[in-house]
Amino acid sequence: MKTTHPEKTPVRLKGVGNSLCVMLDPMTSADHLRTELEKLFTGLKNEVENARVTIDVGAPEGYDELIDELGRYLKETFKVGSVERARRKKPRSRRIAAESKVDRLRRRDMERSWHDYRTDVLMLTGRVRSGQKVTARKHLLILGDVNPGAEVMAGGDILIMGSLLGTAIAGHPEGNENIILALDFRPTQVQIGSYVAAGLPASPVKVTEFAHVENGNIVVENYLEANPFGRLPWPQAR
Amino acid sequence: MDGKIIVVTSGKGGVGKTTATASIGAALALEGKKVAVVDMDIGLRNLDVVMGLENRIVFNIVDAVKGRCKLKQAAIKDRRIDNLFLIPASQSDNKNVLDPEEMVRFSSMLRRHFDYVFMDCPAGIERGFENSVAAADEALVICTPEVAAVRDADRVIGLLYARSITPKLVVNRIVPALVERGDMLSHVDMVDVLSVELIGLVEMDDQVVVSTNTGVPLVMQKTSKAGAAFRRIAMRLNGQVDLPIQVPEASGGLFKKFRSKFGLKK
Repeated sequence: MKTTHPEKTPVRLKGVGNSLCVMLDPMTSADHLRTELEKLFTGLKNEVENARVTIDVGAPEGYDELIDELGRYLKETFKVGSVERARRKKPRSRRIAAESKVDRLRRRDMERSWHDYRTDVLMLTGRVRSGQKVTARKHLLILGDVNPGAEVMAGGDILIMGSLLGTAIAGHPEGNENIILALDFRPTQVQIGSYVAAGLPASPVKVTEFAHVENGNIVVENYLEANPFGRLPWPQAR
Repeated sequence: MDGKIIVVTSGKGGVGKTTATASIGAALALEGKKVAVVDMDIGLRNLDVVMGLENRIVFNIVDAVKGRCKLKQAAIKDRRIDNLFLIPASQSDNKNVLDPEEMVRFSSMLRRHFDYVFMDCPAGIERGFENSVAAADEALVICTPEVAAVRDADRVIGLLYARSITPKLVVNRIVPALVERGDMLSHVDMVDVLSVELIGLVEMDDQVVVSTNTGVPLVMQKTSKAGAAFRRIAMRLNGQVDLPIQVPEASGGLFKKFRSKFGLKK
């Protein structure tokens, strides 16, 4: 709701179509308002004759007396055509309209956000051996192991459905939001975007872990416990 | 005769390629097969020393490949085993004197004369390796239970697969006591990483040093554990694929034996 600040100008004038809209602060005294209106309307003497004027007090109801009084004053002094109260939509109905828009967006996201989405996922099976280098433009999915001395690099996420013992570089060159996940996470080195981590302690038992950037550091967490994407309200294309 | 060319390689140096070549070659020859062992480490030959034949070298593989001598002249017959021949490397050339095409031609000649030809590949993955694997039908990858050796072996296995050669793994120099304590990689871990067929486990054995220095084949020493392991590898290569792989075990005390007898400890 637009309200004019009392210290500034309590009255503002706006041209709406072929009518004039006067927005005023109803908390200000009627005399003060009248003075301000006079200042504004005097400069526009020719334009305001027979014009349709609406008065917006910023509220849908109340202040009828004030509006009547000011309307009479405007009609008498400046010969405006008509004065009426601005028709405002009730705030409640506006909120409902806004919500339904969000709902519509949400429904669209839930039901078909990925339908027209094309993504590049390089999916490989087998073992990446020492000296071999796999590079993916976007996400990389390997059903197999990555041996020590091997390097896997992706512009997006890296998911290893097996042991990760080599070097993994996700989000190359600047995707700090990307993750590196492995069912058995024991990498030589991981890089995510511009961050590098090495010598990560191996967990004593084989658990699915993933690396991500948090507060400028690469953090490795148990994937199922952290469940980073489980909190998203609906499926989203990545 | 349509022999098999088997390359013995590892990537890393000093893991026992030469010893394995000499031992497995000798063991197969003792089984009655006609075997040639070829030293491909041109410029740094030492298979001749391991076999105790260094003073008999007149011609070498470079001479044979370049046609400066006949194959029979370059192949030196072993002192003790009749069916075993060594084709030594040249000590004065470098690896670039041979190229893979020449080796493919030379290997087809070797196939005609021998049942098994073992190529003792030099360390590294450069020209010497290229020449050795050019005509190979099979490959033995020798690897010690060390992280560095495993990584190099993995690289070599990748390169062998790229040439459509399926390698077999020999784990050399296992110290069972260290493995048991968890201070040494176990062969299970190694096979996990390398994921190739295991063909033998060879225990660390002091007899190897004695054998390489004296030139007496390891497989002819009855008490050598490593010799026995190499004999079993030779038997597996020679068609006895069902021969079980013996896992070296730490020789424990009487109490340990007693416990294992009663199933209290594996």
